[in-house]
Amino acid sequence: MTVGKKTIIQLKGVEKRFYSAHSDQQVALSQLDLELSAGEFVCLVGPSGCGKTTLINLLAGFEKPSSGTVLIDGKTVSAPDPNHIMIFQDYALYPWRTVLGNVLFGLQARGISAADAREKALSAIELVGLQHAVDKHPHELSGGMRQRVSIARALAVEPSVLFMDEPFAALDAFTRIHLQDELLRIWKEKKPTIVFVTHDLDEAITLGQKIVLMAPNPGRVQRIMDIRLPYPRERTDVNFAAFRKELYEEFHLVHRQAAETLEYAI
Amino acid sequence: MLTSFKKISVPVVAIGLFLLLWQLAANRYPPEQFPTPLNVAAATLELYQSGILLEHVSVSLARFLCAYLLAVAIAIPLGLFLGRFSRCHAAIDPLLQILRPISPIAWFPLAVLWFGIGNAPAVFIIFLAAFYPVLLTTISAVRAVPAVYLKVAGNFGAKPSMIFLRVIVPAAFPNIMVGLHIAVGTAWIHLVAGEMLGAQSGLGFMIVDARNFLRTDQIMAGMLLVGLLGLIIYRGMKQFEIIIGRRWGIAS
Repeated sequence: MTVGKKTIIQLKGVEKRFYSAHSDQQVALSQLDLELSAGEFVCLVGPSGCGKTTLINLLAGFEKPSSGTVLIDGKTVSAPDPNHIMIFQDYALYPWRTVLGNVLFGLQARGISAADAREKALSAIELVGLQHAVDKHPHELSGGMRQRVSIARALAVEPSVLFMDEPFAALDAFTRIHLQDELLRIWKEKKPTIVFVTHDLDEAITLGQKIVLMAPNPGRVQRIMDIRLPYPRERTDVNFAAFRKELYEEFHLVHRQAAETLEYAI
Repeated sequence: MLTSFKKISVPVVAIGLFLLLWQLAANRYPPEQFPTPLNVAAATLELYQSGILLEHVSVSLARFLCAYLLAVAIAIPLGLFLGRFSRCHAAIDPLLQILRPISPIAWFPLAVLWFGIGNAPAVFIIFLAAFYPVLLTTISAVRAVPAVYLKVAGNFGAKPSMIFLRVIVPAAFPNIMVGLHIAVGTAWIHLVAGEMLGAQSGLGFMIVDARNFLRTDQIMAGMLLVGLLGLIIYRGMKQFEIIIGRRWGIAS
């Protein structure tokens, strides 16, 4: 934990078990302890089956832990909270609403007056650079633009925490890089805590102050890496490459362990 | 220009060929048994001039509209409810599955017994014909609303009434539209049946009445009118669907 920074998210002995069709117990996450500071940009990375999506769903309150507690701002998370907004990979926009209508949704859900809501929505849309597309419907937009709308919808309600579940995974490499830069700019301006799930290691190094490396069978935290590089980070920089090397090495290790456990299981 | 000409000319030629074949076939039989297209056209004109035609058409359209709107007004709210509350749906579904395969026409004896001769049995039969398609598509439309839409709404703290009215209803609407479309077809088909059995007016009655006088030409005129009106209603529905699709931002 960084000294002097307020802890916002705290997991204590969190475990998540699922029951498969044969009623075999599957441990998606085992005995997880984690503390994240307010305003921090944290990336969760790991191979599939490491429980990173389960973890973010627990944090966002979409799922409940089988044991242990998830605390945000000192309060136990038991349901989704309008202060902690999740952004999904497939955007989850409402196709019958325009860009403005989609961004307004969260504000309307809060019961904010129409004029106020409109003002907030428009400024959020401007923040993601979509002021020219306010009246367009999602089907008229590219994938990158749709994800911007989804980000604007989240930002409009000024959440203290943003959860992002592989938000850029469906986008092409160029769009992804643009959106990573945009996200960093927005994060610097608004300073929400961001928990960002990705399987793209470069993306994690570009974005995260902290990278939580996860390992499968059972899902657990393997290591926590602090990325002490100033923003904006040059993707072609030597220091970037050093972290990249470290992360890759760490993951080869993770892969080998995963393969061994798999062999053992067979 | 050429394409739109082709678009019109091909069906026109096909209809022309159909009329020619009809004429050739009808020539082999007496007109009481198989009237020619010209006989039918003359009968249509005769019915029109006597004022009977417009009267029957307007009665049929009024019945259709009344029964269809009644079915929609009951089936959509009920379908929204059953789609949302899967326990209620599980309870009622077996009953629906038993009642649904019963042809609306099979209800005719009961309908006459309960409602007497007149508008009511015909309206009842058309109602039944429209009711099930709308109900079942509405239920499945609600159940097909992507879970992530509800997740987002819940995340933003939307109240149940807002989730229902501003997420589930609009998300289900395009699929409900499909049900409305199917129901127009089945309801219109059953209009004639309903009127043949239990009514003293309308296009169905007009056909039965013509049969009683062995006016085969008028029977065919009635049949063709039913087809033509059905086409017009169907086309109108399609236009409505396109407008809705645009409004919903789904169709481009």
